[in-house]
Amino acid sequence: MKNTDTNQRLEGIPRRALHRPGIAAAVAGLALVFLTGEALAQGWAQGRPPELADSPLAPHAGRLTVTPPDQIPVDRIQVPPGFKVELWAHGMPGARMMTRGDKGTIFVGTRQIGRVYAVTDTGSTREHSIVTEGHTQPNGVAFRDGSLYVGAINKIMRFDGIEDQLDQVPAPVEMTKEFDLPSDGHHGWKFLAFGPDGKLYVPVGAPCNKCEVHPDVHANIRRYNPDGSGMEIVARGVRNTVGFDFQPGTGTLWFTDNDPDWLSEHGPQCELNRVSQVGQNFGFPYCHGHGIIDPEIGKPGSCDGVELPAALMGPHSAPLGMRFYTGQMFPKEFQGAMFIARRGSWNRTVNFGFDVVLGQLSSDGKRAAISPFMTGFLDTANNSFWGRPVDVLVMPDGALLVSDDHNGAIYRITYGG
Amino acid sequence: MGDRTAVRRCALIFAGIGAVCAASAAEPIPGDAELAAKIAACTSCHGADGNSTSEGIPSLAGQPETLLVNQLILFREGVRRSELMRPLVRGFDDGTIIAIARHFAALPPKSVDGAADPALVERGRELAKAGHCGTCHLPDFSGRAQIPRLAGQREDYLVATLTGYRNDVRTRPDTSMNDIMRGASDEEIRALAHFLARQAPPAMTH
Repeated sequence: MKNTDTNQRLEGIPRRALHRPGIAAAVAGLALVFLTGEALAQGWAQGRPPELADSPLAPHAGRLTVTPPDQIPVDRIQVPPGFKVELWAHGMPGARMMTRGDKGTIFVGTRQIGRVYAVTDTGSTREHSIVTEGHTQPNGVAFRDGSLYVGAINKIMRFDGIEDQLDQVPAPVEMTKEFDLPSDGHHGWKFLAFGPDGKLYVPVGAPCNKCEVHPDVHANIRRYNPDGSGMEIVARGVRNTVGFDFQPGTGTLWFTDNDPDWLSEHGPQCELNRVSQVGQNFGFPYCHGHGIIDPEIGKPGSCDGVELPAALMGPHSAPLGMRFYTGQMFPKEFQGAMFIARRGSWNRTVNFGFDVVLGQLSSDGKRAAISPFMTGFLDTANNSFWGRPVDVLVMPDGALLVSDDHNGAIYRITYGG
Repeated sequence: MGDRTAVRRCALIFAGIGAVCAASAAEPIPGDAELAAKIAACTSCHGADGNSTSEGIPSLAGQPETLLVNQLILFREGVRRSELMRPLVRGFDDGTIIAIARHFAALPPKSVDGAADPALVERGRELAKAGHCGTCHLPDFSGRAQIPRLAGQREDYLVATLTGYRNDVRTRPDTSMNDIMRGASDEEIRALAHFLARQAPPAMTH
């Protein structure tokens, strides 16, 4: 451990514990390993080498005010030849995860500003309204059988018959108790999606940058019956996934994961993963990226039995929303491939990501090759950015929507025409 | 706790002396009486010069503009819950919020009064170092962008805020603070707040 002097003075103060007493008791054996001698903010500071002790790196500020459309330089966005980008919807600060209702409404979750938006297409323009507000990071949205499911910290709500009642949204059905999620704030925001099995998939992130967790509580992906019953853990060792999808045909779950901060400028790299077996372990907190044993809490063998990534997504790149391309509009090489939004780094001096990449499957379907698709948000000459892609959504006509929470905007990418 | 008491006291002040407050605004905005009145409403609790003398009420002077904008929006949206703040800012458009934020960001922050306990300051200094507070809040704790200035902030406000993060009661705007404070003891929070409140507010750079 670093900061030895401070740690000695702090010894004996229980911290970084699994702070729900019942859980702590259940895992007392595990807890003992990490209850001693840990400094304030150990999870935050852990892993930081001495040369980064005085680093001024910090998360970028989110913009909560409306960005007027004339301040969104869509012409700077680059896509491959034959593709076109337009500003499809705007004026929705913090627009993040997207889902589409049966009648065509696009529902959009947010984090800081606490709203869920509904976007309706009137033909030539789009209108948006606020479905619900005042929540703590209602990031997750999913749609099933006429109902919108919203996942916040740490809350699950269901809005029945929502598309017929956008003008006067009824009170949601509270499902928080049924889903019984941990109460932690950090990495407590949700991504939601229904699987081909009709179950609602809900991630529970690690409540820290890096810390030991109880694998039945944190750092996992769960699935539930839509009423919150029948919880089952699908994947473990998942630090913080904010995007997943199911491969058409096979139904295989693929997900993005954000690797720990502060280990170095160049890694560990964030991940794209494939779940080939229910309950698989993806390594956190002992094994990162492509098999990097954690220098502090890992030990020889920590990567044994860990399912390594299907693709590496770059250092601190924050891969979030990802979907398989199920449309017909884009050329053949895009069909069946994945689009992955990388919101972009903060924990490295040189900005990285801020784009949407294409993930093309290997012939055995187990790995993916990553290449650029939508770029231009990042100005590498000045190390600055003007937009941050968060989620992607394939529309019935095959166009691709991309949300940008920095500008509160949604772009639409089309091919040909 | 002090939080509720302060809120009640301030509400009383607000109800009773609205007119007086309006007259005591630090820098009335020429040509914009409406905005000046809104700023005056802020100063009745947060201090005429943005340096609060009210228990549990934070100083706003010299806070980064983005921080003030974001927090006002979170109050407006009911995301950051406050029985006093929400009615005051509800209905403010983005432009009004930006103007109010700009006003307070430009005011010079003052040092806090009250004797320092040298042992507690030292303890707080160690904890701030161990917690890497200076990473985001900068080494002089002057804050930047969405990250608040801690130097010279009221000690009681810092205690309440850090405790809120520790208890996962406050989870916004960014949950990193929940991660950092998780498991911190009351004694550590007291020391951190005592130390940070007694740091001289640096000259404004933002």
